[in-house]
Amino acid sequence: MGKWVPVGFLVWLLGAVAGCDDGRTQVVIYSPHGRDLLELLEKAYEEQHPEIDVRYLDMGSQEVYDRVRSESANPQADLWFGGPDTIFSRGAQEGLLASYRPSWADSVPQASQGPNDLYFGLYLACPILVYNSAAVSDEAAPRDWEDLLDPAWNQKVLIRDPLASGTMRTVFGMVLARSVAETGDEGQGFDWLRRLDAQTKEYTLNPALLFEKLTRQEGLVSIWELTDILLLERRNSPLRYRFATSGTPVIDDSIGLVTGARNEAAAKDFLEWVGSTDALSLVAREAFRLPARTDMVAEQLPDWAQKVLTALKPLHLDQGLMEERSAQWMETWDREVRGKGTAPAN
Amino acid sequence: MSFRGRVTRPRLAAAGLALGLGWLVGYPLLITATEAFGGGAPWTLDHFKAFAERGDEWTALGRSLWISAASVVLSALVGVPLGFFFERTEFPGRRLLGGLVALPVALPPLVGVIAFLFLYGESGFISRAVAAVLGLTGPPWRLAGAGAILLVHTYSMYVYFYLFTRAALARLDGSVLEAAANLGASPMRILFRVTLPLLRPALAGAALLTFMTSLASFSAPYIFGGNFRVMTTQIVASKLNGDLEMARVETVMLAGLALLALWGLRLLDPGDDLAATVRGVAPSRRQLTRPLAKWGAAVAGWSLSLFLLLPHFTLVLVSLVPAGTWTTEALPPVLFGGNYSTLFSRPESLKPLLNSAWMATVATLGALFLGFLAARSSLRVKGRLGRLLESLVSLPWAIPGTVFAVALATTFSIHKPQAGRFLLIGTPWILPLAYLLRNLPLTGRAAFSGLRQLDPSLEEASASLGAGPWRTMWKILLPMVRPALAAGAALAFITALGDFVTSIVLYTLDTRPISIEILASLRLQDTGLAAAYGVLLMTLSASAFVLWGRQGERV
Repeated sequence: MGKWVPVGFLVWLLGAVAGCDDGRTQVVIYSPHGRDLLELLEKAYEEQHPEIDVRYLDMGSQEVYDRVRSESANPQADLWFGGPDTIFSRGAQEGLLASYRPSWADSVPQASQGPNDLYFGLYLACPILVYNSAAVSDEAAPRDWEDLLDPAWNQKVLIRDPLASGTMRTVFGMVLARSVAETGDEGQGFDWLRRLDAQTKEYTLNPALLFEKLTRQEGLVSIWELTDILLLERRNSPLRYRFATSGTPVIDDSIGLVTGARNEAAAKDFLEWVGSTDALSLVAREAFRLPARTDMVAEQLPDWAQKVLTALKPLHLDQGLMEERSAQWMETWDREVRGKGTAPAN
Repeated sequence: MSFRGRVTRPRLAAAGLALGLGWLVGYPLLITATEAFGGGAPWTLDHFKAFAERGDEWTALGRSLWISAASVVLSALVGVPLGFFFERTEFPGRRLLGGLVALPVALPPLVGVIAFLFLYGESGFISRAVAAVLGLTGPPWRLAGAGAILLVHTYSMYVYFYLFTRAALARLDGSVLEAAANLGASPMRILFRVTLPLLRPALAGAALLTFMTSLASFSAPYIFGGNFRVMTTQIVASKLNGDLEMARVETVMLAGLALLALWGLRLLDPGDDLAATVRGVAPSRRQLTRPLAKWGAAVAGWSLSLFLLLPHFTLVLVSLVPAGTWTTEALPPVLFGGNYSTLFSRPESLKPLLNSAWMATVATLGALFLGFLAARSSLRVKGRLGRLLESLVSLPWAIPGTVFAVALATTFSIHKPQAGRFLLIGTPWILPLAYLLRNLPLTGRAAFSGLRQLDPSLEEASASLGAGPWRTMWKILLPMVRPALAAGAALAFITALGDFVTSIVLYTLDTRPISIEILASLRLQDTGLAAAYGVLLMTLSASAFVLWGRQGERV
């Protein structure tokens, strides 16, 4: 009798899953945005377009690039939705993206537009300082990047492994680009990162581990991205954030059409819709995304977004320099800084 | 004429098989390897020179080697005695516990690590309990460095030794042991002079699997290693940083190390058919009659199983915790079933379960078939061709999963039939194929060790009594190697079911497996839902082991 249990389970599964496929046109999206946002958009879009079936694969931003590249002979995706513009720029150079200019493109700042209409900034991602409010009071929490080097946080800093994270690469890039701008080379920046390394207890493998460890107070402060912390806050997490006083290296989270998309027309329509003010204010309300468009009026945005946009002090970085040297910088960091940090003099 | 046919047909079949395996296993790796030398445009040794000049690369290579060797020793020290205990001693609950003890291998990917963290990490149960008992203020240890890697490796890999030992013991001929005892040999002498030598093929197979698995192991060194870098973490670091040339060279070096180990192990265990015994009745289990011994064994068995299953229980607990509620408490303050109702109420979220189940089933059946065929063929033709087949069967395990997947993806991403390359990427077939090839060493090694333990005269007897080769295979060989094959198949099935590293490279929209769903939940910081998926995965894996247990029992 026992051996029929797994069989019965499989039959039931088959029944439960059957009927997922119907004759609708599919739009396939590769995206690092996570289920919260993607499900929201899927529902909203399908309500207006019953003939379209929006399907998504949710993965890391680096993975989207890897996957689109390895599938370029037999493209499976129609849209590449999400990830820092630095990764999009690499994809564009390798011919993985197709030109398409949506009607909302003119409302996005010139700097957030890719070359030849290959991709456009859609949302803004903001690296911020994170702390566990159950263990650190709002007054005591770090106010600027510099504060992370304070002896009070020695071995209390957790950092997401920067090699695998676009957000952390941008923050480290900011430190090094600033050093180049101020002194002409990266020396001062690497010194700073070495001191941060001495403060760092651990580089965590993924954001989930980072948040678990922060919540369980294995570390108290970190650097991460705004949206995730707002989502966690909604789920009663004790983690809180603060914008660094010296400025935020804002990342353009972009979108583009994949070369050789199977359902190009439908994909273009989705791209058009996802940048509309309606869709942008929906995701701002429900999924904590800040629009990259600059023509949204206050009523179209929820309170949190208005507050953030006023508090936000964007830091202007030498994008060209960062794109050019980022790989070299991270390699040097990985070999010469990680785990070899020098303790601050105290 | 008939004589010639008998000599050449097996050789022809073996050559065909070697060619097919070479195409599926060797060819993709060859393509990857040539790219490390510049891919012919032009040929260059520069990348290797860059590798050779870097001290940290050599350190990592050395560490990969010694960590793997140490993992083999530690896993053997745990797995072999456990195998003896559960196969040779009869006590209440033996059958159930015998299956449970194999479950560490079924700890799901990604969330399994989180379970370890919740247990032994610095804010974990065990760490807190130990700190409380010893009156410490801080955590008693840090789960980091070589020690932590070895702990995780031993925990998840002793199962190879355990399963292979049990399967081999089940095939032993009891009369041989009795004969030794009657001739006056002490139990110790029997163990070292008779039993262990007879187990050698199985132990060599398990050692090879453990070595290769830990050489290719990525998550343990990545998560627990800290600054203790091994070759696999170097590869990923180079790759993430866009230094594809260096990643390729590192891959080739790691694969070279694996091949060297494969060759070294062959020297140690030439696989000559030492174990030719006529199979009689398996030695009877020692019935513990004294109540003290009997219940002592039962208590020992239960507590050991409980200890080994702690991560699994932790995972169940985590799956019942609402997000963000468990912070610094020793036990979660709130429990709920919400994660499971989310999971079961959406057909979309069940699809990955079904995908994993069908792909693992197809891949295991395929690997079983190919592995048995290759082992049988290799042992029949012997010589160079036989050894080639054996190496080809072991090869997929010698290469880190990611590398193997990338090699497959590269090879089958263009349509060039004249070069033996077809467009498979993006189709639902590439993932089951990858599972099949990845798990070929599991079923293949099992088949090799099973067949090696057989007495060749059995086959001759069957043939001389007029049975054809197929009849001999069905009626004699298969039933006799069934315990070994069942162990290999169970391992292959659960490995495919929980596979992460291959899947992440090759999955498509329609073949998304459970592990990718776990990853997606983790990316959303939904540890509870990820754990719920993990629990379902464990349940499926456990049923595979229960079925395996029955197979082993029936023989």
